[in-house]
Amino acid sequence: MAILNHVSTHRGVETAFGKIIPEKEAYSYCLRTIAGFSANIFQLMRVLNDSWEDRTEKITEIANMMNCAACAGGEDELHEYLNAFYDEWNIPELVKRSAWIGAIWGDYGDEAEDMAGRVIQFTENRVEKELDTCPWDIVGSEMCNMTTGMFTANFDIAAGGEHGAITNDVQLNMCEARGCGNPHCRVVAERLDHYGLEPQGWLDHRGAAHDPVHDTPPERRVKHAQGLRSGQYTNAFGEENSLEWQYNWVAQMGWVWSISFPLIAIRDMADDDEEFERLLKIVFSTAGKNSFIDPFAREGLRNWLEIPREIGDNDPRVMGAYIGAMLGCQLVPFEWEAFDGEGVEIRVDQDTFTGRFEMAPLDEITLGYEAQWNGACHTLVSPEWSVWIDEDDDDFIITVGRKIDDRAL
Amino acid sequence: MLFKEDKVARAESEAVRTNAGWFRWTHDLVELSGADAEKFLDWVLVNKIAGTPVGQGRYTTMLDEEGGIIDDLVVMHKTEDTWWLSTLYGPQMCAWFDSHKNAFAVEYSDRTQEFDMYAVQGPKSADIMNKIVSDSVDGLKRFQLLETTLAGAAVTVDRGGFTGELGFEVYCARTDSEAVANAIAAAASEYGAPRLTTLEVYVRSLPMEKGLALRQDYKGLTPFEANLGWSVHMDKDFVGKEALEAAVEGPARAFVGLEIERESYEDIGQNEIIRKRGVPVGICRQMIYGYTVDKNIGFGIVDAKKVPLGTQVTIGPNDSPATVVEPKWC
Repeated sequence: MAILNHVSTHRGVETAFGKIIPEKEAYSYCLRTIAGFSANIFQLMRVLNDSWEDRTEKITEIANMMNCAACAGGEDELHEYLNAFYDEWNIPELVKRSAWIGAIWGDYGDEAEDMAGRVIQFTENRVEKELDTCPWDIVGSEMCNMTTGMFTANFDIAAGGEHGAITNDVQLNMCEARGCGNPHCRVVAERLDHYGLEPQGWLDHRGAAHDPVHDTPPERRVKHAQGLRSGQYTNAFGEENSLEWQYNWVAQMGWVWSISFPLIAIRDMADDDEEFERLLKIVFSTAGKNSFIDPFAREGLRNWLEIPREIGDNDPRVMGAYIGAMLGCQLVPFEWEAFDGEGVEIRVDQDTFTGRFEMAPLDEITLGYEAQWNGACHTLVSPEWSVWIDEDDDDFIITVGRKIDDRAL
Repeated sequence: MLFKEDKVARAESEAVRTNAGWFRWTHDLVELSGADAEKFLDWVLVNKIAGTPVGQGRYTTMLDEEGGIIDDLVVMHKTEDTWWLSTLYGPQMCAWFDSHKNAFAVEYSDRTQEFDMYAVQGPKSADIMNKIVSDSVDGLKRFQLLETTLAGAAVTVDRGGFTGELGFEVYCARTDSEAVANAIAAAASEYGAPRLTTLEVYVRSLPMEKGLALRQDYKGLTPFEANLGWSVHMDKDFVGKEALEAAVEGPARAFVGLEIERESYEDIGQNEIIRKRGVPVGICRQMIYGYTVDKNIGFGIVDAKKVPLGTQVTIGPNDSPATVVEPKWC
């Protein structure tokens, strides 16, 4: 196919050396970096709280509450909120939409986040969703319970036929989870009255389905969601969103459910903010150092970014290009202030950097990435070089520079 | 998704084909009236609406200025001054009317939340209906309306449906919905006619077997590309007519049927790419299992010149082999 036909449609992220990372690859990388940040946060949680049950219960409860809070307000406000979704997503009245908006909601979110799969069953009493991939499969089992518990809110806010009332009509279980070793993630919603079930507690969202499940054979599984396969997501009722729209949506929302929501509970697991931030830096710093321990990881990065050979291994531009690629793929606008052998400076608006989702800015992004990039810099480039983030009015300046720190982490 | 081994779905499908079944089938309902109602509908819709007698409905599509389908609907002449438009996209329809109302003297509103609609479908559907409505449905023509009562409630019965079988649609006030549903359920049970609970059976499988598509399948096609040329009246003015007239070289795309050879279609989502010898030639709108024809079937939009009926193609990321066929199976 002649490139002339695609110049205007095949977009990408330009690296410091002029290479274009194609849009689809950038989108995938964006998802994985958010999942990586989330995995670090969950490691921190495990340091702070050694009880799987206790920490899982706490993050599930807060995530559910925050999800409900997204539509807080009076009866009329909730009604309006839901009607907007029905209209936006072309959900016809005939599907008993008040009861099953949760499933439609979930399918949309899964697809945007490249949790690729299919709605196996969509009936009046049961919905079964099967996923073949999950970029968040490195985070751990607490997240599987948390997200499932969180998404019961999407059923509850609209269920029961009473507009404005938050009810609990379904059990929502992640019966299988890729992050736990299963071939699929499988989420099943089953109506309590039909199956004679009890409402679930916060830790009950990894239970079994109450009807047989359908297991898609390996030869018919997919590697990517609709957007990455064919350029757009289309729901069962014809609503379409472009790949570009999905990418922008997920670059905001991915930070909300997988980091912002659980962080509220995780912060409370520490004795105080100082303790929380001390441990956060340790976890992220370790993750960064380990990113480039393997020599082939360094070579792989150079190859991916097409770093010229005349730029040696002990050059700050290698690290600067890496940070730039990550910011670019995360759809964070930034400017190069300096990019030479003496160091790299990147200017980024503070609100943009921490406020990927405007309603929930995350200071932890700055703390985490400063520690992670600094750790990574020591193995990717050399310990002669460090990364730090300074404030400059409304901006941050991310610097890769020489620093001697006798108490380096 | 529907699978051939799904006994519940198969039983629901068979009931409608051989006996009867019923289900809640509430569409968005836009009510339109005003001195220019008939003229306005003739302007925004491709079918000839003027002259539709009271108590009769018509199927039609609605186009944008480029001649692409943006909705398909049934227009019902409810009373002398009132028209009901049955669509799945009421809010979008009202917004479209807002932008095309011009000087027409019409009023319209989305009344979806005021009415429920139940479908009774299948060869025995008339028998079931006659058990519960005050006036016989015998003799009703397709899309003909009957104003009557059911379970003491005023209802509008339309001889129509979306299964390709004899069928009726019952409109009632939401406040009467439970009584109407109970009455239908009781009469249906006498005939062993189940209430359908599997959405995809009555929204996709039963209709697709009979060649009935949704707006989302047709969206963006011209009526001629969608095999709906019969509904277009080029002898009147309507939105999109100029674009249709300009398309003198014939349809560039064809709306076709697809049959896949594999056991099931888990890897074929909406708008999956269709390839001929590895080259993209169209998109698959949706696959479903048809229990009457016992096949995995689907609708697709393909390059009209490159993909004649009978062409072997592949669909989706795992290159599922498929054959292009007429978009109607029984």
